[in-house]
Amino acid sequence: MNSSQPHILLADGDTESQEKFRAFFKRRGWELEIVRDASRLGEALELSDYDVIIADAAMPGLSPSMLLGQAFRKRPTQALVMIGESAESDGGVRLLRSGITDVITKPVDFSWLERCVEQACSLRRQDEREKQTYAFVTSERTVMEFSCKQLREIQAISLPIVSRLLAGGQLSDSEALRIRLAVQEAVLNALEHGNLELDSRWKEVFEQNGEDKFTAVRRQRMDDPLFAERCVRVTSDFERDRFQITIKDQGKGFLNSQQPMVPLTQNLSCFGRGMTLISNAVDEVRFNDNGSEVTLVKYLK
Amino acid sequence: MEFPTEIIGDKGYIHITSDLDTEVAGEALRSAFNEIYEQGKRTIILDLSGAQIINSYGIGKVLSCYQRLKADHGVLMVKPLDGFVKETFELLMLDKLLPVEK
Repeated sequence: MNSSQPHILLADGDTESQEKFRAFFKRRGWELEIVRDASRLGEALELSDYDVIIADAAMPGLSPSMLLGQAFRKRPTQALVMIGESAESDGGVRLLRSGITDVITKPVDFSWLERCVEQACSLRRQDEREKQTYAFVTSERTVMEFSCKQLREIQAISLPIVSRLLAGGQLSDSEALRIRLAVQEAVLNALEHGNLELDSRWKEVFEQNGEDKFTAVRRQRMDDPLFAERCVRVTSDFERDRFQITIKDQGKGFLNSQQPMVPLTQNLSCFGRGMTLISNAVDEVRFNDNGSEVTLVKYLK
Repeated sequence: MEFPTEIIGDKGYIHITSDLDTEVAGEALRSAFNEIYEQGKRTIILDLSGAQIINSYGIGKVLSCYQRLKADHGVLMVKPLDGFVKETFELLMLDKLLPVEK
């Protein structure tokens, strides 16, 4: 999008409502495109890029999960405003929790909508300026250290450098996703098999209450300072044509867990796929002697 | 976090509305699965269109659902996949294991 004016997609099947939105956006000189049929939404998202998507929750054929899936797949930070009957309902709360930017009730308060759109555009412009500036960075090193408890709170780590290389065109969408997944796998290994010394085979050993032993021991060790205070260190190094990520734990090593998986057609276990996902993402995978440190290397084109 | 479920005829559907890569998301899948399973449905379909990424933790949870249904002569299916989730399923050969609902 070249224009500095907001570019908005409206998904709404009601003609009267479409006209109200059209008149409002026209007065402000904002660009508006309308999708009248939910089945055309994917096509519209493929063809153009929007600052904000506004969707009528009552549009036939449109479900929030479909909208979120299609929009976030293209741009994870996409601003989405849902027009619904009631923002206070469970449905409204669920929508906000699932990543919708705002839920506006009917009749639409256009001054509130205007604020929503302006805020989303301002954040996006700032983000674009940062990405442009980052293209001039030639080397960078970041070191992060997490205790087991902190990793549990964060749930899944996401390295800023991967987003920045993606934004700078040095990684494709698919490469960035593979690396994000590989880092998650390596950190999870460091946490569970390294620091917490858990055995994957326990995932298929069930306790009397139906819970698997892996989950039960994991919870127990997360509350035991001997294990829980151990750290995972994640270091990322970027230098022009390559970057590498090193993940180190404070356990005794877990080489047995680092073996490649057996093909799934022969193995239906609930574990043993992490190494395949890691190897698929990067050009080199290196371990130290006891497996407590793994380095993932990716060469940039 | 909760994943919406629906029953259509003799099938149960679970709509995954976030990435399937955390303990919280895994727990939400288990809970949605239990909700349908306890209603007696033995054909359960996962709609992964809201997920951009699935990691080995999420795959472990999916296979746990698969095994539970298989032990009870049921079937776990997926809605047609695309993007990175499809790539991951193919890499790990899950596409050979879980039929696609047409």
